Amino acid sequence: MAEKADKQEKSPFIAGLLSAVIPGLGQVYARQAYRGAVIFIGTMLVLAMVIWYRHPAWYIAPLGIWLWNVVDAASLAAGRKRSFLLPILLGLLAAYGIGWQVSQIDFSKASLSRAYLIVRPMFSPDFVEPRREENSIWVGVEVPCSPEPPQAYREDGSKSLAVMPDCGGVHETLIVTATGLWPNTDTNVVWRTPIGDPKMVSEDENSMLVVPSDENGNMTVVIRVPTTALVAAPDPTLPQQHRVYLYQYRSLGGIQLSYVGGEVLKGAAVTVAMALMATTLAMFVAVPISFLAAHNLMSGNPFTLGIYFIVRTILNILRSIEALIIAIIFVTIVGLGPFAGVMALAIHSVAALAKLYSEVIEGIDNGPIEAIYATGATWVQMVRFAVVPQIVPAFTSFTIYRWDINVRSATVIGLVGGGGIGFLLVELIRVNDMRGVSTVFIAIAVIVIVLDFVSAKVRERLI
Amino acid sequence: MLRVEHVSKTYPTGTQALKDVSFEVQDGEFLVVIGLSGSGKSTLLRCINRLIDPTEGKIYWNDIDITAASPSDLRLIRRHIGMVFQQFNLVKRSSVLTNVLSGRLGYVNSFTSLLNIWSEEDKQRAMKALDRVGIADKASERADALSGGQQQRVGIARALMQEPKVILADEPVASLDPVLSHTILQYLEQLNKEGITVICSLHFLDLVHRYATRVIALKDGIKVFEGLPQEIDRAKFKEIYGEEAQEVRATSVEG
Repeated sequence: MAEKADKQEKSPFIAGLLSAVIPGLGQVYARQAYRGAVIFIGTMLVLAMVIWYRHPAWYIAPLGIWLWNVVDAASLAAGRKRSFLLPILLGLLAAYGIGWQVSQIDFSKASLSRAYLIVRPMFSPDFVEPRREENSIWVGVEVPCSPEPPQAYREDGSKSLAVMPDCGGVHETLIVTATGLWPNTDTNVVWRTPIGDPKMVSEDENSMLVVPSDENGNMTVVIRVPTTALVAAPDPTLPQQHRVYLYQYRSLGGIQLSYVGGEVLKGAAVTVAMALMATTLAMFVAVPISFLAAHNLMSGNPFTLGIYFIVRTILNILRSIEALIIAIIFVTIVGLGPFAGVMALAIHSVAALAKLYSEVIEGIDNGPIEAIYATGATWVQMVRFAVVPQIVPAFTSFTIYRWDINVRSATVIGLVGGGGIGFLLVELIRVNDMRGVSTVFIAIAVIVIVLDFVSAKVRERLI
Repeated sequence: MLRVEHVSKTYPTGTQALKDVSFEVQDGEFLVVIGLSGSGKSTLLRCINRLIDPTEGKIYWNDIDITAASPSDLRLIRRHIGMVFQQFNLVKRSSVLTNVLSGRLGYVNSFTSLLNIWSEEDKQRAMKALDRVGIADKASERADALSGGQQQRVGIARALMQEPKVILADEPVASLDPVLSHTILQYLEQLNKEGITVICSLHFLDLVHRYATRVIALKDGIKVFEGLPQEIDRAKFKEIYGEEAQEVRATSVEG
């Protein structure tokens, strides 16, 4: 009762006035110092946030909180507490509103047609293709013409390919004649610049020119020198040898690994091998280190305890650096390729494994150690018979688990040049081969799922 | 003969586990150490084979100063002192045979033992030890596949491998049920009759009366009683275990 009487002595007007000057001060005056402090800090935080963002609309939030704070101080002086709901809602509203604008969320930016172009090819992954046989021949053509161009005629076994005239400028007409091809077969005609860049030679220069050969294996077609043939030439007036290629394909029945499919398999193997090498390297380094990082073995005297703290600190620092970042450093040291990835994974794994191992060592049962010592065994014998049997299963289990993690990390590390399937993925994205990209996605998923399953099964047996 | 002279032990934490304890054990005795939990029984037994180093005092075994022994001498002394533990202290994931063979480590070449290679003689000795405690058929099983009583028998077999002159038994039956307690203690009694000195800490007074040839009692690290088991009357019992204590019997099965 005395408390209530005490409260009634406070003037609501003075409380409100004080809070109007400094938020929370009126509450302090009404003997609610803690509440006052919370209100002051909260108001300042919201105010700082709004001032930092400089968007006038959001000043509504600190203003509202300030008004509520004045009312709260007055009613507190009159002996009545108000709910915090309103100021909290106002603060959250400002935080989420500003957060939304800062992170530039804009769902209207999503373009379905662009997404379709990217996603559509991904539904037909490029892994296998029908088995087929290729028949091809090429001939050199000079562009533009020199006074004495070499003859545009070439024989290859029983096949021959001739272009008339022997040279031409951009957009000039050429007659292509071939003999000795497979009869009655569609033949693709492709132009290649001196740097090997393929150009389409159909009328619109946008699709493949396909011409069938006759029953004797002969074929004649009129093409134009592509308008873009000299785009990449250092000097368009300098005559250079371009090539005209003819390709024929014949089905052999059955299916075979496509080029991308083969690369994906190779990349997957490299990634798994990278993780295996890194984990094994890390294991050999981490085992001795883990003994130095085990508190129960190192707490004997101040010297070993010092070593323990130093080792632990180094491990914690190493572990806090993402393998991806270590990989970027190693790419500059040893160059692009799987070795950089292996080193990055190994260093990160040393830190992670040494910590896990040392925790295993810390958790071993001291009883067998006593018992083995009591038989008159040496320290080495004690470790062999009392410590090793206790730690080997857990060590093995953690090592397999780490390998599993490293396979996943290795795919990401490939993205920064660390080799393996991630590296392949970046290359495929660069050339916009979305079919290949989806093949890589599927391969990564399969590897991860299979390894996850295998490692879980093996570890189940060990524990 | 084992002679303990003015042994004290203070742990780094400041706990004084033993205070000036002295006694003698003649060869062939079955000495039982009693006292409440935390009275220093385990510390005392571990001081004898120096699993714990006493802070003060001397322990002589056949006039060899154990407390002053060099590490290599200590190992030679330890191999004559077998030890049996309350929690058995077997390596759970190793086979029973390996656990028993590890009792032989003090005798064998360090290098071959590290590869877990044992002589035929040692293997036969291990099988004989297991046979003595009645579990020769369990030799190839994992130690943690055995029941508590069987595990303690493995512990005894391991101690037997040392061809011990003394067996230290630290509450060997405290983790077992009453019927099994007698089985285990009867093995120790049998070994004692064959000439091995047994120093054993126990909880239950009826077991003390049944097996001990002599008793010492510890209270807060001080020796408060030394004498024959039948000398422990109600008054002595209250003195050792405190005024509140009630005597609990391990079993009534014993006739």
